[in-house]
Amino acid sequence: MKKRFASRVLTLGIAAALMLTMLTGCGVRFGFASDPDDPNEEEKTVPIDTSIDTFEYDTSLEGTSITLLNSKAEIQTALEEMGKVFEEKSGVHVEVMPVTDGDSPYTKVVSLYNSGTPPTLMILDTTDVIALAEEKGEDLSGEPWTAQAEGYLTTVNGKVYSFPLCIEGRGIIYNQKVIEDALGETFDPKTIQTQDDFVELLDRLVDAGIEKPISLAKDDWSVGAHHLQYIYETYDGTSDGAAEAIEEIKAGDLDLNKYDRMSEFLDMFDILKKYNVAKADPLGADYDEMAIDLVDGKTAFWFNGNWAWPNLQDAGAEEDEAYGFLPYFMNNDPDDFANQKIQASPSKQVMLDGQVATEEEKAAAKEFLNWIVFSEIGQQMLVKTCNIIPPFQNNPYEPSDPLSKNIYEQVHAGTTFNASAIVPNDHWSVLGAAMQKYMADRCDRKELIRDIEDYWAEQE
Amino acid sequence: MRTKHGGKEFCMFALPGLFCFLAVVIVPFIYGVYLTLTDWDGVASVKNFVGLENFGGVMRDSQFWTSLLLTFKYVVFVVVIVNVIAFAIAYLLTRGIKGQNFFRAGFFTPNLIGGIVLGYIWQFVFSRVFVSIGETTGWKLFEASWLSDPTNAFVALVVVSVWQLSGYMILIYVAGFMGLNEDVMEAASIDGATGWVKLKSIILPLMMSSITICLFLTLSRAFMVYDVNLSLTGGAPYGTTEMAAMHVYEKAFTSRQFGVGQAEALILFIIVAVISGLQVYLTKKQEVEA
Repeated sequence: MKKRFASRVLTLGIAAALMLTMLTGCGVRFGFASDPDDPNEEEKTVPIDTSIDTFEYDTSLEGTSITLLNSKAEIQTALEEMGKVFEEKSGVHVEVMPVTDGDSPYTKVVSLYNSGTPPTLMILDTTDVIALAEEKGEDLSGEPWTAQAEGYLTTVNGKVYSFPLCIEGRGIIYNQKVIEDALGETFDPKTIQTQDDFVELLDRLVDAGIEKPISLAKDDWSVGAHHLQYIYETYDGTSDGAAEAIEEIKAGDLDLNKYDRMSEFLDMFDILKKYNVAKADPLGADYDEMAIDLVDGKTAFWFNGNWAWPNLQDAGAEEDEAYGFLPYFMNNDPDDFANQKIQASPSKQVMLDGQVATEEEKAAAKEFLNWIVFSEIGQQMLVKTCNIIPPFQNNPYEPSDPLSKNIYEQVHAGTTFNASAIVPNDHWSVLGAAMQKYMADRCDRKELIRDIEDYWAEQE
Repeated sequence: MRTKHGGKEFCMFALPGLFCFLAVVIVPFIYGVYLTLTDWDGVASVKNFVGLENFGGVMRDSQFWTSLLLTFKYVVFVVVIVNVIAFAIAYLLTRGIKGQNFFRAGFFTPNLIGGIVLGYIWQFVFSRVFVSIGETTGWKLFEASWLSDPTNAFVALVVVSVWQLSGYMILIYVAGFMGLNEDVMEAASIDGATGWVKLKSIILPLMMSSITICLFLTLSRAFMVYDVNLSLTGGAPYGTTEMAAMHVYEKAFTSRQFGVGQAEALILFIIVAVISGLQVYLTKKQEVEA
């Protein structure tokens, strides 16, 4: 009797445990699939033509082994693939190490340096490169690829320490089909040139039955970095201008209460807030749902960047469908560049370790970078396998997903501005919180501006 | 005899353990204290001695004190609720009710799920399940995601922590109840002690050793909460649910103020050590032998 009872308890326990495990699976999938970089994603492999290869390999480097720290999780398998092809061709082994979830790339690099085993190459954000370059990085100013990346190089005290890996752009993503179906006419994004045009379009969509046409992410990286940084980046549309704006704010020379870009930015943000599908509970908005809403036509717009494509694809979007970007309209002047152009700039940088790596490793790493830019195979793999928008002028390949393609086309049509604001590493999290407060109507413009000023006053 | 072999035995049995303890606990701790006195940013090869400047930074970091206050509030709620619930449930589960082993296993299960995963599960529950319940039933309570309101998000944190921690404490209390001497209980009953009096004068004093352990565990775990905090709210909405441990991490690694973060960690350590030390001392004094 007792034994039977014990075994019953055991079975029940196991059943309960199993159920919980299942729940766990669900929880992770639905509750937090918001991670845009899912490394387990199954990638379709795009065939690469390897018949032509005019790149000259340095045979003395054969047998060298280098490591590459990858902080762009969605291209992990693609990079491994690239490393394999490169090894076949050059004899240099490339080990690709991912930055695991929960670690920031910077923290990972720092801990690797502290344990004396830094990676030879590391993919980092621009801020990290600037923080580490002079202490740890190898000067790459003389590399041949620098000539092909004109306008996209980041310099620290006049020297190039990093290889721009990709261009990423952001703006208001539109679903062309949804707009056309609702309005019953063809939609030409070029006709929307000012804030008023945009509001008019939104009102027409509302009349046509799309009650709240905009999805607005509440995540701090979105509101704190991608939205707010427009106030620096639209200063004059260049990275230098953004840096100047920041210096002026820090020094107190630029009064945010009077700075026109600040009020213009908030005007636009208010519009987005007003038509937000999650207006009732903006901070409860769910990232995955936004992708689904945009694809299903519950909304027509989503403020995001070309990295959102995997999410849209998961939500059922197809590559032959029409998605594109509208600028972040700042005012009603059709001649203002901010209303004509979308922001697109290099976002991930590859830095070469100059402190621990041997001369041979450095040479092999440099060859790898040049291979990406100059060999026919490297060029193809960068665009097709990694699905990246290349910042290199000599790369003839076009990305295939609609968002990247749209950015690519706009870059070539000259309707992008290349400005990236270099802000302290906690800018997105600290001011993201301030923006969330504003987003949820828990503070007014004045308080938000004070928070921004306080933040900058604290920086040295 | 003891003096003769003492040295050799000490070397054989205690030295390896002592070495490990020194290497992974004491040395990093002292090194950490040293780092609070430097301006090291985690990368630079030179560390400049800056004295107590980092502690000045801690004083100026108002967000740290806010988060510390919030942590205190959280600790009070969690420690009280967890122990009351665990004690009550353990009491019920040692009275021979039907299926009590199943219940014990059931209550313990949440503790087997890691804090991060648990946070994500509950995030889904709070922001999706509850909201859709609210939509169908029209209940005001579930109208908006709990995680988007500062007060509700804090309540959510407490609920999840209680749900997770209770099971473990139940286990300890159950062991305590099982160890109660039947003779003493019987004697108490014969003397006419029933219900509340029996609980207050007989059971509680005899359970003091379990209470000491449970209070200590809940106190230290609640003070150091990070995983549930990170995955459930991540400090949201707008940084209002950021607990001390999370703030320390953010300070050191996101804001890259390594020295200040390390100094804050040290202050947090001292607070936790003093409070749990005090608690153990006080509750130990209450312990009696049957």
